[in-house]
Amino acid sequence: MKTNSSICHGCSIGCGLYLVESEEGEKRKVLHRTTSPMNEGKLCRFGTDLHTYYERETMINSVDGKEVKQDEAIKAAKESLKGMKPEELAFIALPGTITNEEIVSFLSLAAEFGCENVSFGFERFFGVVPEEAAYIIEKGLPFSEVDGASKIILFFLDPFVHYPLLARRILKAKKNGAKVIEVSFAKNERGIADETVLVVPTEVERIKEKKELFEDSLIIGELTPYTNPQLLSFMLWLNASTASRLFLLKPFLNSTGAFLLGKDSGRKDLFEILEGVEKGEIKALYLLETDLAGAMLGGEGVAETTSKLDLLIEQNAFRTHFDTAGITICSEPFFMKKGTVVNVEGRVLEIGGESEKGLQIMESIGKGRKYEEVHEEAKKRLGLGDSEINEFEIAVKREERKFEVAEPKIEKEEGGGAGEEYFLWYKTNPFFWNGIRAKNFVEISPVAMKELGLFRGDEVEIAQGEQKERIGFKISDLPQNLVLSEAKLAIKPLQGLLTRVETRRAE
Amino acid sequence: MEEVKAKMSRYYLAWAKDDAIRKKGANGGFVTATLVSALEADFIDVALVVKKKSVYEGIPVLTNDPEEIKESSGSLHCVPLNLTKYVVEYAAKKRIGLPTKPCDARGIIEQAKRRQASLENVYMIGLNCGATLHPLRMREIAAYYGLDPDSVVREEIKEGKIFLVSDEEGKEKEKWMKIDELEEKGYGRRDACKSCVTKIPTMADLACGNWGSNDEKKTFVDVLTDKGETLFKNAVDSGYVAIEEAPGKGIETRQRIDAGMQKRAASWKEKMDALKALSRSERFEFYVDALKNCIHCGACKEVCPVCACEEDAKCTGLYDERDSYAISMYNLVRIFHLMDSCIHCGQCEDVCPVDIPLTLIQRRFSERMQRHLGYTPGMDVTKKPPLYETELRWSAEAE
Repeated sequence: MKTNSSICHGCSIGCGLYLVESEEGEKRKVLHRTTSPMNEGKLCRFGTDLHTYYERETMINSVDGKEVKQDEAIKAAKESLKGMKPEELAFIALPGTITNEEIVSFLSLAAEFGCENVSFGFERFFGVVPEEAAYIIEKGLPFSEVDGASKIILFFLDPFVHYPLLARRILKAKKNGAKVIEVSFAKNERGIADETVLVVPTEVERIKEKKELFEDSLIIGELTPYTNPQLLSFMLWLNASTASRLFLLKPFLNSTGAFLLGKDSGRKDLFEILEGVEKGEIKALYLLETDLAGAMLGGEGVAETTSKLDLLIEQNAFRTHFDTAGITICSEPFFMKKGTVVNVEGRVLEIGGESEKGLQIMESIGKGRKYEEVHEEAKKRLGLGDSEINEFEIAVKREERKFEVAEPKIEKEEGGGAGEEYFLWYKTNPFFWNGIRAKNFVEISPVAMKELGLFRGDEVEIAQGEQKERIGFKISDLPQNLVLSEAKLAIKPLQGLLTRVETRRAE
Repeated sequence: MEEVKAKMSRYYLAWAKDDAIRKKGANGGFVTATLVSALEADFIDVALVVKKKSVYEGIPVLTNDPEEIKESSGSLHCVPLNLTKYVVEYAAKKRIGLPTKPCDARGIIEQAKRRQASLENVYMIGLNCGATLHPLRMREIAAYYGLDPDSVVREEIKEGKIFLVSDEEGKEKEKWMKIDELEEKGYGRRDACKSCVTKIPTMADLACGNWGSNDEKKTFVDVLTDKGETLFKNAVDSGYVAIEEAPGKGIETRQRIDAGMQKRAASWKEKMDALKALSRSERFEFYVDALKNCIHCGACKEVCPVCACEEDAKCTGLYDERDSYAISMYNLVRIFHLMDSCIHCGQCEDVCPVDIPLTLIQRRFSERMQRHLGYTPGMDVTKKPPLYETELRWSAEAE
């Protein structure tokens, strides 16, 4: 029996836990780590089941579909990358299971080949956020700020679904006397809010009329690659024009690390890169620990797009949803890694493992540095100085600054064709808890159930153009025309927030 | 050289003969020495111990290395871990010796009744237990004492006080405060421990502690079972442990401390029962309000030491996320299922991500039922759970 101290990579909170391995070193289970200051030993559903995440099929080392030794796969990757023009290359790493050290190595690898098309998933927001407000998307806040807040605004965020370990902080704040207001398309079913500002899907802009509600508050929202940039502008405007603070949670554990370490590098939006691949402008892609087809909405389309590449290199611990990668290189599972991450509170956390495999794969292709050298560079770039890493300290702090943002406009959702009377709202983002306990239903209102002629046991069909999805349903206290989904459907939101869909009883 | 008499007395003062074990272990290192001697004499294949990582942190270790057992000695009040599930996992394959708090031992006994572990393979060296503390609360206590929490190198609970020793730049500093005073200020023990009335593990093979000992380097040992006697004799005969008969005064002191602790626990239980002054409808509202926050992560079931169900359990099987009951089937079934078996250890509340007061809720339901049935779970392996659901199997196999 071996007990490894580790970090959950389910979201940007980075809950501490132990993974207990059986004597044979195979069977693992999660043990709650009560000493962890992020979560005090508590875990959400993903964390409790984390051991099952590590039970997936491991990646193999391969070149052109043929299993090879790792050295050969690395050599082939190096040679193939050398043969590409810099503008034809792209590097993508959604920072869920990558360390700060791997990010440093990944960026220098991209730079080695002159590539400026590097994405960590959030680049689409760079143009939206003024320089002086960049700290808001880069850094979060310690949870003690939530505990001590006097007014909390939940901005289109259900903490029980999105970030349960944040929910307990909000409940704690309530016990301490905080008022909680939710701004949402639907009332939180657990009634966490003292007040609800119900937003009509076609009238999001009218939140501006309630601006005074945001005074002296802590606004808590979420930033994911699918967040509507207009909604981010809206949150920033509310923050800038009131005496409030804005705290954005993210779905990837090391989002803060990726933001801060990748600051001075050539970056390109994830969706633009995929568009470049589609157009044939980008011909080679290096994916680090990122199962794009598995994680994104419309994964089949993503897989089809990447099949147009001349070269797809995947470095991952586990098999992904792609079967077209020319080169696959097997790295180690996250819990085995030696390295650090920065959580959304600004704590620098050690993963707890001993392996440098993932880092050394990239260093073998690139500069050939040792772990210590890369680690020191990461520490320097994060501004950590010589201090020892201590999970009890908020090492990456943020300073609130004044900034100005033009009053934003939220464009109305496109669509509105015949029969599109319903709005689909993803209650969570598709990067969450990928592949674990997938939901098999959407939520609809009792009125919708009646209108659609549904009975218990029926299924609904949700359609957006050619895309159709058949799924079970649950009756919830919702506005009549809203369909809420925690399930990842084939339907893509048109502007990140919600989308018009046709909804009917599935025959 | 002491020799255990042919007909054993029940109470002893005992200590490790090895200087290093005696120094490092709590109360003279009897427990560590007994485990090491049991391993060497082949009574057990492995010891299940909690290895100290710091004053605040310990991890379970299954080991057949005497040195690792020795490393794990010493008090560790900040690790509110229940070892039952590890016993369930390994006792089918190995003979295990382990130190048990009363709640560990009670969990193991309930699992044995449900045929998840064979007690023949388990040697329980019980530890008297005043309480465990959440490690982060202990850090807060250190800060309250004016100590840097990271500099605390030792902790001890004795004479109703929490002692912390810090080491700052080579200078040791000891601070203490009465537990009652700390708890009045909102610091202190886990709620489940505050209200726990089972302080001496009389259901284990041996019950050990400092209550009744006249020397802080001697353990008061209560020999409770034949297996306990075997372990004890072996530890003495193999030269690991020195003993003397416990003085009558010590026995009385131990009983007095236990009675006092039980009285205080009963008083805490009253004090913490937020529901007692509520009307029936208000109580229902309380339950609905508390349980509505449940995210159905399953952690409470996973850590529950008396739950013998696997993945296909009634609580998870009957729960459908699409239902909109005021209290979900998961929670309802768990409440009913645990009514005759909950040992009020608080493990469920420790891991609940939304801080549902599960110890209080489970206690409200189970205590009344257990009183009604005249049954206290986890105290005696020969007592069948009154609501045992596989009556026929029990009858056929056990009787």
